[in-house]
Amino acid sequence: MSSGLSHPPPTRLSPILDSDKTAQPSKPASSFWYLQPSEWDVLLLSTSLKLLLFPAYRSTDFEVHRNWLAITYSLPISQWYYEATSEWTLDYPPFFAYFEKFLSYFAPLVDARIVDLQNLKYDSWTVVAFQRSTVIITELVLGAALLRFIRGAVDPPTQRIMSLSLFLHPGLLIVDHIHFQYNGFLFGILLWSILMAREGNKLASGILFAVLLNFKHIFMYLAPAYFVYLLRSYCFSPLGHFQIKSFLSLANSIIAVFVLSFGPFIVMGQIPQVLSRLFPFTRGLNHAYWAPNFWALYSALDRSLLLYTKTTGIGLAVKEAGVASSSRGLIGDTVFAVLPNVQPIHTFLLTVSVQMVFLLKLWLTPTYKSFLTTLILCGYASFLFGWHVHEKAVLLVLVPLSLLAAERQAYFRTFMLASIAGIYSLFPLIFTPAESIVKVVYSTIWLVFVYRALAHRVYEYPRSLAYVVIDTLEKIYVAGFIPLHIVVTALSFMHSGPTVTPVACVPSHDFTCPEPEPSAQTSPGANWQFLPLLLTSVYCALGCVWAFFRLSFVYLKGDMYQGHLNTLQ
Amino acid sequence: MEKQGMKDWIVPGAIVVSLYLKWCLGLGSHSGKNSPPLFGDYEAQRHWMEITNHLPVKQWYTYDLQYWGLDYPPLTAYHSWLCGLIGSWLNPSWFSLDDSRGLETSSSQVYMRSTALASDTLIYLPAVLMFVKTWHVSRSRRTQNLALLTLLFQPALLLIDFGHFQFNSVMLSFTLLSLNFLASGNDILGAVFFVLSLGFKQMALYYAPAVGSYLVAKCIHLGPAEGSRLFLRLALTTVMAFVLLFAPFLPPFSPLSTVLHPITRIFPFDRGLFEDKVSNFWCASNVVLKWKNIASPGLLVKISTVFTALGFAPGVTLLLRTGFQQRAASGKPEHKASPRTSPMLPLLVYVLLTSSLSFFLFSFQVHEKSILLPLLPMTLLMSSSAPTSSTFLWGALMNNMAMFSMWPLLKRDGLGVQYLVMLALWNRLLGYNPFAQPKRKLIHLLSAAANTSAIVIHAMELLFSPPARYPDLYPVLNVLVTTPVFGFCLLWSIKSTVQIAWALQGPGTTLKREGAGLEPKAATSDKQLDKITVRPPLPESFRSQEEEKDRTS
Repeated sequence: MSSGLSHPPPTRLSPILDSDKTAQPSKPASSFWYLQPSEWDVLLLSTSLKLLLFPAYRSTDFEVHRNWLAITYSLPISQWYYEATSEWTLDYPPFFAYFEKFLSYFAPLVDARIVDLQNLKYDSWTVVAFQRSTVIITELVLGAALLRFIRGAVDPPTQRIMSLSLFLHPGLLIVDHIHFQYNGFLFGILLWSILMAREGNKLASGILFAVLLNFKHIFMYLAPAYFVYLLRSYCFSPLGHFQIKSFLSLANSIIAVFVLSFGPFIVMGQIPQVLSRLFPFTRGLNHAYWAPNFWALYSALDRSLLLYTKTTGIGLAVKEAGVASSSRGLIGDTVFAVLPNVQPIHTFLLTVSVQMVFLLKLWLTPTYKSFLTTLILCGYASFLFGWHVHEKAVLLVLVPLSLLAAERQAYFRTFMLASIAGIYSLFPLIFTPAESIVKVVYSTIWLVFVYRALAHRVYEYPRSLAYVVIDTLEKIYVAGFIPLHIVVTALSFMHSGPTVTPVACVPSHDFTCPEPEPSAQTSPGANWQFLPLLLTSVYCALGCVWAFFRLSFVYLKGDMYQGHLNTLQ
Repeated sequence: MEKQGMKDWIVPGAIVVSLYLKWCLGLGSHSGKNSPPLFGDYEAQRHWMEITNHLPVKQWYTYDLQYWGLDYPPLTAYHSWLCGLIGSWLNPSWFSLDDSRGLETSSSQVYMRSTALASDTLIYLPAVLMFVKTWHVSRSRRTQNLALLTLLFQPALLLIDFGHFQFNSVMLSFTLLSLNFLASGNDILGAVFFVLSLGFKQMALYYAPAVGSYLVAKCIHLGPAEGSRLFLRLALTTVMAFVLLFAPFLPPFSPLSTVLHPITRIFPFDRGLFEDKVSNFWCASNVVLKWKNIASPGLLVKISTVFTALGFAPGVTLLLRTGFQQRAASGKPEHKASPRTSPMLPLLVYVLLTSSLSFFLFSFQVHEKSILLPLLPMTLLMSSSAPTSSTFLWGALMNNMAMFSMWPLLKRDGLGVQYLVMLALWNRLLGYNPFAQPKRKLIHLLSAAANTSAIVIHAMELLFSPPARYPDLYPVLNVLVTTPVFGFCLLWSIKSTVQIAWALQGPGTTLKREGAGLEPKAATSDKQLDKITVRPPLPESFRSQEEEKDRTS
């Protein structure tokens, strides 16, 4: 740690002008805490950009987390999952509650009103500064993991770019530093876990993932890949012999993590209550704003068929309930007018059967790269086919996918497509005009930087006509975001006129999305209010689904593709 | 990363990042937010957009003066009118007469912020780009980029324009454009742009002694025939420009008396010697000498005028003297002066600094924000100098101290975080660390002392509230730290002017060019002369030194 404090003399404009720094040999692992000048630059720059967002718009998630601070600070643990003064009840797993408890020790040092349970919707400068700072500081877990990724990488200069792009990821900026959540911290744990897998420390990888699951259960989307990978490569020898010792140490470690997390609640007999908070079964297929997944396309197809039936009078069977459900995309039971209705079991079966394909391949080739790809594909499949998926879950795909970006051109293009569609699909989270400019400009700068830095490293000549055609279509698709954005902006500008209150068409919090006021729905133009969201959702869904099939194809077809990650077992 | 590829992206990248930063600064609070009944500078600007769009020109300078009456020259009024016109077209409620007072809806704030950003991008950005291309034309690309970054991210200007909310960059960029045209020998356009600067904010008067004496010196330099012709043309265009600026207030558009309204509004001598706490001579000495009790306001105006004139006199004298001497030198037929070149050019930016600093330190009715005026020439000077040179150190010190001197204002505006961020970013960008310098020269000691005091004052302010007897303790301490620094900056600028003037004049005409190379600025314009006049190139040793400095820095 001492060497980290000795600050190397700064150089003028080192990050920009002395780009040859990236070519320096990386420091040995022993000097892990030593930051190169360019890394200090990145840290300073990113922290500065985040600090400037302190006064920016914040969603109700901000109040959610403040309320959790208050709950964990003022109440005994036995009441955490029962407390309901605020509508934003605690609905993350226990580790996250402990995390909030930890943070809440510092809050009264800044302002005692932060942890007052009755002080709902507190939004003074102190609470904003405190909570936003905790996001920035805890995100350093991500930063540390990314640094570690560079230190032991097969190709450090490329990994440096990927680490930089992840640390400055627009998705994290939008969701964490504007909207307000702690994803940077959580993805930091995920990356530490992946890093352990890369370094061959599979037990640590499994334990870290179990820890992560106990912070936020949405990471269950990735669990199948972990399960198969750890079972195959840790509990079985390469020749297929079951290693009981390894299995037991892994199983016991993971059980220990869960006991640590849920133990107090097991003792108090509160498990059913905790689980009912974690998994409320009252939600529909789609979230308020359709996440850009398969069901968005399905719903859009249903709406189009309904419109088609209405205008042409073709006798398709129309279910009246579905007509009323309308395209507003509101929460509740989504009922389709023409297409068959979808039950949770359908989505579950679909997701699992898609995942099985990749898991089978992972079982056969349990390498690090195969694991990483399967991890992404499992998350991707859950995102595309799951029940009531949130648009923010796209980060589960985008973050690990970045690690594969420079592997070869096929991965790079998939990464670019998924990133563009995925990041754009996060835009509706931020709808206030000033911050809308921030999200667009920042994301564009990021995309141009990543593209410029990586594209030439993975460039390959087109090999076939099909390749050229696909390439052209993808370019057209990407270019389409510009007219899409113009149309969406124009439409929202028309509807945010002085009379209509901006129906915060925004999924306000992970698991709760209140119905908008009925009056807002009946106001003129209400039917068109959701058109920008619908367009965004459908257009992004096209890209997301296509990128998924692209990645699946590359992975399943994959053995002839040799990138540098293949050197890792 | 491929070096060459990335280098092409430095300029566009820096511009886009600076735009993004400026916008992010605008997410924060502005002056007088949520503080009725009068609000602050933000509301003043918004109010002017409102009245210029709803009232006939005659009433612009007379309407309800108690509520932010217009007190800037007509170009600001026209600019406000244009911004208000576009804004009213987008949403009339933003600028409806009287009803919109104190309006702070999020959409109107976004519009106001975008007017500041658009004005800055349309005028300041081209002016800076042009500055780099004209003044640093013979420097390496790296130096040019560095100069651009130094100017684009200048923290004090960004915080006032995009945090506090004003349009200072417009006034400054008109002056900068004027400098660019003077450097390329286009004196007429230079004069016109300077009039525009004056016509936007009367504060540009701080520069007037320098620009005026430069032009006069140039006329002297050109000799009686050529010089008087230039003088006449300059006089004519300047008067014409002023007449055009004030045209709507003059016959036949308005009765002649109308023109008195803007003029009386622009020069308010009925206010105090200084406002709030400002880091100048009067406020600092007021701690010991209560000027109000010592002298009448009328006398104070006179004293402050004399002090100011004494402050800029050396610079002006040297400019005129150089012009005179160079005329003598070029009297011989083989040295016939060309109207395109000017030996006084290396002095110009230094004299601008001297003149604006003496106005800031000594003149009547100075605001803390006026430090932006001397900061411009100082930042221009440092923009191309090596990070170990004293010019760079003085520039960095003055920029940081200017930020510190505006801290009470920024704190009041709720821009504390932005203040810290911009300071940290800019200093890191330049690689400036006041504490890592060897303590050899005055500037090193001064930097260390001033920065340490600033940090100590910040820490004390954070930890202890001021004693009840002295509620203004921290602002006063602030003034007592920053005023001496600005005083030293003034002395340094005079010293540098003397050195360069001496070098230009030189013991003999043959040595003068090398002497001018002591300062990078002088060297730069000297090389421009190289290009234009047929002269032997600079000695090899000097040139290679200069280039080496570029490479190693």
